[in-house]
This record gives sequence, structure tokens and C-alpha cells, in this order.
Amino acid sequence: NYEKDGNENTDKKYSKDFLLQFADKCTNLPEDFEIASDIAETLMNTNVNVSHPIDSY
Amino acid sequence: SINKSAEIPLQPHPLENSWTFWFDNPSAKSKQATWGSSMRSIYTFATVEEFWSVFNHIHQPSQLAAGADFHCFKYKIEPKWEDPVCANGGKWTVTFPKGKSDTCWLYTLLAMIGEQFDHGDEICGAVVNVRARQDKISIWTKNASNEAAQVSIGKQWKKFIDCNDSIGFIFHEDAKKLDRAAKNKYTV
Repeated sequence: NYEKDGNENTDKKYSKDFLLQFADKCTNLPEDFEIASDIAETLMNTNVNVSHPIDSY
Repeated sequence: SINKSAEIPLQPHPLENSWTFWFDNPSAKSKQATWGSSMRSIYTFATVEEFWSVFNHIHQPSQLAAGADFHCFKYKIEPKWEDPVCANGGKWTVTFPKGKSDTCWLYTLLAMIGEQFDHGDEICGAVVNVRARQDKISIWTKNASNEAAQVSIGKQWKKFIDCNDSIGFIFHEDAKKLDRAAKNKYTV
């Protein structure tokens, strides 16, 4: 019962507005995500797991 | 049963295609003689949820260092001219003032992975090139000589990213031979 719309054309099309709804629901990196540390430094947001803002003083 | 996670995930939303993020690291580039040798695949995703889970943790183009190239290509297509699927292709390119490409980059990705292009099968992927004075986003396609498909993709892309400037399509073949002297074959 999870066929989409019963549409013969099976393309999975999603509008921008539909996709944007999921943006803040998917906040954890995938479990199988692995990255070399040198790339992580230049590509990843470094404050990913920081729950408190860094003291500005 | 396996207690993998405390929360029960909702049914994920599968994408029509799987896509791979690739990153070319500018700090590695200077040490490497061969172009492309510092390019590495980052993650392959197949659902809407996986896309956001990674996208939310990586820098926007405006946060990347000058020289960085970040790609999102269909799984198993390498973002290189030499890839057999890309070899006869070309690319549409939009240029942005420095640091102003973030929104259009996201909307480009959403249009691709959401299969919003009528000729989506023609698309290999997209790349954002972060440079010292400007950012560029390109959509790579498969059969450059298929004018109708390329023009359709170019027109739809402009609509998706709300671009009113005229944009050009360059054949990879011309870019290889002529580098920056390569001329637009199509314009929309």
C-alpha cells in the first residue's frame, strides 16, 4: 500500500517545497557516513555537535 | 530483534536516482600534479532524508575556500570529461558574484534530485566552482548535440533558480580543445 499515487509513470518527482519540508527533520549524519579528517576540516560545519555557542570573550 | 535506534524512523522517501557528492579539496590541489586526482567521493544518497542528513552538515558554497569544487552527480557517473557518460556532453553555467550562489546551488540540487527536469535523463549532475572573485554553478549533460534537450534543461533551470540572465551551453569537446576560448553553442 505504499505505491505512490498508482501512477504508471514511476518517476519519483518531488517539488522544491515538498523537499524543503524535510530540511530540519534530518539533522543527524547518516550512520554510515565516513569522511577523512583532512576533508572534514574544509568541507564540514565544525559546530555540528556543539550544543553551546562558543564563548565570545 | 536488534535494538538499533530508540526512535522508529518514518518511511524514507526514495529518489528516482542515487546521487554522489564529490569534493575537490583546494588545499590538496596545489600538491597534486594531475587534475582530478584530489577529487574524492563523499557520500552516495538514495532518499530525500539521506540528502538532507548530509547536506545539513556540509558547507554552503559561500563557506568553502576559493578553489573548491563541490559536485553532485548521479551514482556511477564521475564528474570528469573522461567519464564515458560525460564524454559527449556539455554544460550550462551560471555565474554569481562571490558568495551569492548558496540558494541557487540548493535549488539546483533539489530540482535534480526531485526530477523536475523534463529531460532529467540527460543530466549527469551539477557542480559549484568556488573561486576568488566569483562562484559558478554548472549542470552537466550527456548528449551535447541533442539541442532540444539541452535547451529545455537550460530554460527550466533558469526558472527553478529564478535567473533572468542569458546563460550559455558549452560542449566539453570544445572546452577540452579551446579551454576558455570555447564558445557557447546554445544560449537561453
